[in-house]
Amino acid sequence: MLNTIKKVGAGVTALTLSTTLALANPYEEYAGETLVVNFPAHPHFDAVMKVLPEFTKETGIRVEVDQLQYLKMREKQTLELTKNKGDYDLIAYVVFSKADYVYADQLENLAKYFMNPKLADPGYDAGDLIDGYVGNIGVAGGTKGYLPGPTGSLFGIPFGSETSILGYRQDIFDKHGLEVPTNYEELLDVACKIPELEPGMGGLASRAASGHHASHAFLLHLAPLGGRIFDDNWNPIVNNEAGVKAAEALKTIVDCGVEGAETFGFAEAGASFLQGNSAMFLDSTVFAGQVNNPSKSKVVGKVAWAPHPVGTRAGSQTGGFGIGIPGNAQNKDAAFLLMQWLTSKNADKMIAIAGGNPSRFSTHADPEVLAVHPHLKVFGEALKNADPDWRPIIPVWGKINADIGTSLSKVLTEDADIQEALDGVAARARDIMEGAGYYTWN
Amino acid sequence: MSAVARANRLTPYMFLAPATVVLVFALLYPIGYMVYASFLDWSPSQRIGEADFIGLRNYANLLTDAAFLESFWVTIKFAAVVVTLEMIIGVGLALLLDRNIRGLSLLRTIFILPMMIAPIVVGLMWRYMYHPTVGIFNRTIKNLGFEQGIPWLSDSTWSFIAVVIADVWQWTPFIFILALAAMQSLPRSALEAAEIDGANEWQKIVLIKIPLMMPVLIVTLLLRLIDAFKVLEVIMVLTNGGPGLSTEIVALRIFRTAQEFQELGEAAAMSNLLLIMLMALTIGMFMYTKIQEARTARMLKAAQAEDE
Repeated sequence: MLNTIKKVGAGVTALTLSTTLALANPYEEYAGETLVVNFPAHPHFDAVMKVLPEFTKETGIRVEVDQLQYLKMREKQTLELTKNKGDYDLIAYVVFSKADYVYADQLENLAKYFMNPKLADPGYDAGDLIDGYVGNIGVAGGTKGYLPGPTGSLFGIPFGSETSILGYRQDIFDKHGLEVPTNYEELLDVACKIPELEPGMGGLASRAASGHHASHAFLLHLAPLGGRIFDDNWNPIVNNEAGVKAAEALKTIVDCGVEGAETFGFAEAGASFLQGNSAMFLDSTVFAGQVNNPSKSKVVGKVAWAPHPVGTRAGSQTGGFGIGIPGNAQNKDAAFLLMQWLTSKNADKMIAIAGGNPSRFSTHADPEVLAVHPHLKVFGEALKNADPDWRPIIPVWGKINADIGTSLSKVLTEDADIQEALDGVAARARDIMEGAGYYTWN
Repeated sequence: MSAVARANRLTPYMFLAPATVVLVFALLYPIGYMVYASFLDWSPSQRIGEADFIGLRNYANLLTDAAFLESFWVTIKFAAVVVTLEMIIGVGLALLLDRNIRGLSLLRTIFILPMMIAPIVVGLMWRYMYHPTVGIFNRTIKNLGFEQGIPWLSDSTWSFIAVVIADVWQWTPFIFILALAAMQSLPRSALEAAEIDGANEWQKIVLIKIPLMMPVLIVTLLLRLIDAFKVLEVIMVLTNGGPGLSTEIVALRIFRTAQEFQELGEAAAMSNLLLIMLMALTIGMFMYTKIQEARTARMLKAAQAEDE
């Protein structure tokens, strides 16, 4: 009898345990489903591809990845998101798509998923996500419409995001006893000193080519030097003192760069640094992965990193990618589970070790991660000053951005007057904003 | 009219019907779509049905858009310069090689190689050749003892020259091949008659060969002009329209308006303006061709009469 009771007791306990375990497995309901996701061909997502099989092993949910070149990805998403029933359950989007997708009601508001106890992981620790990235890539509807604020909501989670960082040649700095620049004065000073100390070598390799590249380089300096494109009422202020200073800084950097620096895009500026032709590089963190790759770099083991120098304020860029659930996705709950898993502490760490860009502060301080990528410690420090508002994320930005880029290209290549060029940008930006209805309430 | 007669009368139209339907859908529908889109304030995030109808506002905006007007001017300048150079060099080469030379077919094959290369590759290739420090041109200039190289892609005048050189390099062979073919099919009788009359080589070229080749040359010119107005990839890779807007041709502006600015309606309006201009050019050239053909026919008739 005692044996029977023991057996029943053991059976009940086993059943209870198994039921509890079954209930505790949030993935079980979705096991066997196949999610279709759309990612760009990008070093971060290449690292993600190495980690994704772990998700399937852990959850039983299969993932099919449509990895496309970035512009192709954008084109395909444009078509996909307007369909009644989309093929994608989860998409990676570049930060500028946030303005378009949210405005067109094509991305799911994530509140309902984080409110769902069956889906939301209580151990997710959203506070550990890099707030500059979240504000820049994830949130919309708050301050200025594209930033966090009392009316803002979360539409995506940063994933493959980037900030700006200063890479410098430790050997060259040591050789000449140069101090690592911490502010703009020092940065410009050392950028122009290097060509004198190391003939043939440029100071700082920067983007400068006409269009997006020149605009990006200018904006990189505008925010730390205290400027913005618009004030809080959308009046263009790009031509104020801070704007002029930022353009002057860019011109100084290009003038003290290697021959032909005016034509550099991101790739050429990076190549100049990797080939040992420039002593510094101030741009996206995504570049860091190539520095110690002997097949691409001649400066292996010679580069150290420092936060983006401070101007009147500390402010490094924010950009790159986020992930979101399309409004027309077929498997939204499972897609949320994947999204949550990919941006969890554990996956963020695995992806970082595999060479991706971490989205969390804790990953930047993780000893296992730092053992493989020691530079991430500095990146983590720099990210405390990541500025989500270093450039506006509004639908008409493309046109203003192109205009800034072409106007500054004239400054860099034809010595056009900086004040005049920026006044022209401000006047044309006002027309564009007027046409888009930004002054309706003035 | 009897039923048989009616059926006979309709038969040709029935045979033509499938081709007409295909033509309407393959040609007119996309053009109609583009014309309709140009009246819309349409972003790629919207279905076309959701876009606001704004009438002619896109066209009105374009006519006061300094950047678009500049790109239009750059395009005209670019097309005029490249086509003129390509015609002169292409026809000149054809005149030079219109004789029995050993290895001519090999030479011809080598000449047409550039036009077989994908424009993106041509753009990349020239971009590296124009590179300020490691490019072959500036390296050669420096090896010759000059301190500074040419700012091929960082000066507005040199950038324009750089894209012209790349285009001329790629497309002169097209003119050469057609001109050579036209030259080799000229009626020998006209040339022999000229020789008998004591015409020298220059007179034969100016008075016989060029006038007789004119219909072919005009079609060739037209094809190149249309292409030059639409050129995109090489310039996109070489200069991306810069410095400033110095090499931003209309096709690149259209691409950026649609892709970067996300304004499909405005991009469609630009395309239509380009289309209208090309159509006007084509009609003008065809009218000129008709006149030239009539003139050539008169010349041939006169030559034949002389032969008889």
